[in-house]
Amino acid sequence: MGVSADPATGRSTSVANRLDDAWVTIVWNDPVNLMNYVTHVFQSHFGWPRVKAERKMREVHEKGRSVVSTGGREQMEVDVQAMHGYGLWATMQRSGE
Amino acid sequence: MKAFRARRGVAVAELDQDERAVVARIVADVGLLLGGEVFGMETTPRVAETPRDLLEHLTSFEAHLAEPDDPAILRLLPNAAPTDREVADEFRRYTEPDLRALKVARLRRLWSQLSEDGPRWEVAEDQAMETAAALTDVRLVLASRLGLETDADVERLHADVGTAPHAGADGLAADRERMWLGMLYEALTWLQDSLVAFVMGEEGDDE
Repeated sequence: MGVSADPATGRSTSVANRLDDAWVTIVWNDPVNLMNYVTHVFQSHFGWPRVKAERKMREVHEKGRSVVSTGGREQMEVDVQAMHGYGLWATMQRSGE
Repeated sequence: MKAFRARRGVAVAELDQDERAVVARIVADVGLLLGGEVFGMETTPRVAETPRDLLEHLTSFEAHLAEPDDPAILRLLPNAAPTDREVADEFRRYTEPDLRALKVARLRRLWSQLSEDGPRWEVAEDQAMETAAALTDVRLVLASRLGLETDADVERLHADVGTAPHAGADGLAADRERMWLGMLYEALTWLQDSLVAFVMGEEGDDE
């Protein structure tokens, strides 16, 4: 993907938590996680119906990544931690990076 | 070995004694890798009594805050923000102790299930996803050791394991280890897949 490191990493927490400072959680494809397992993890954690969970799972599998949530930095940390808990490969970054 | 099937609302797989021992061993190894104690030999938590003890405790605590050197551990506890070192470090500092504890506790419960007598491995519905998650962690470590980075790598392993009997005992030691880890990886994949199918209600109930 075409993301370069942002040299301006020194943002303060108060800036990072501003309401208009949107972050995203991305789940990346990996060869280990099973399709049915990823679908069920998406259903359980995000509360999505099965059809949506399967669509996002296929996006991860076919496109290599999918944005699974958008919001403030703290919420993205909750989502990334949950995905890591399940063994999925998830990262977070500022929206638009 | 028989995959998980639904029986009266419980997922039941069958593993003979040797298969259970092999799976329990790798589960315990992954627990150790994550900093857990040796399963089955738990002692009461040690309290830091001397300054030296305290220093050792702090040193191991610090070690947990740096990005792990072992690629297998890094896959279990990945970098959460590759484009932002500060965010990644802060995430690791706040979440890693909890993630390690969650994974070790789950592996310990899986190990206990496998250490019961008899060929039946029973998993209640409300424990099925945490068992599947523990199996994922074990498979992630095996995949890292096997160098499985792409779907093509997994397909190649599958083909190699399929022809393993022809390799025989005179193959290279490295090849034999790869075959052994590969067969274990494939067996755990098959078991996890059947367990998740049970969770998602795709299997009929036998009884």
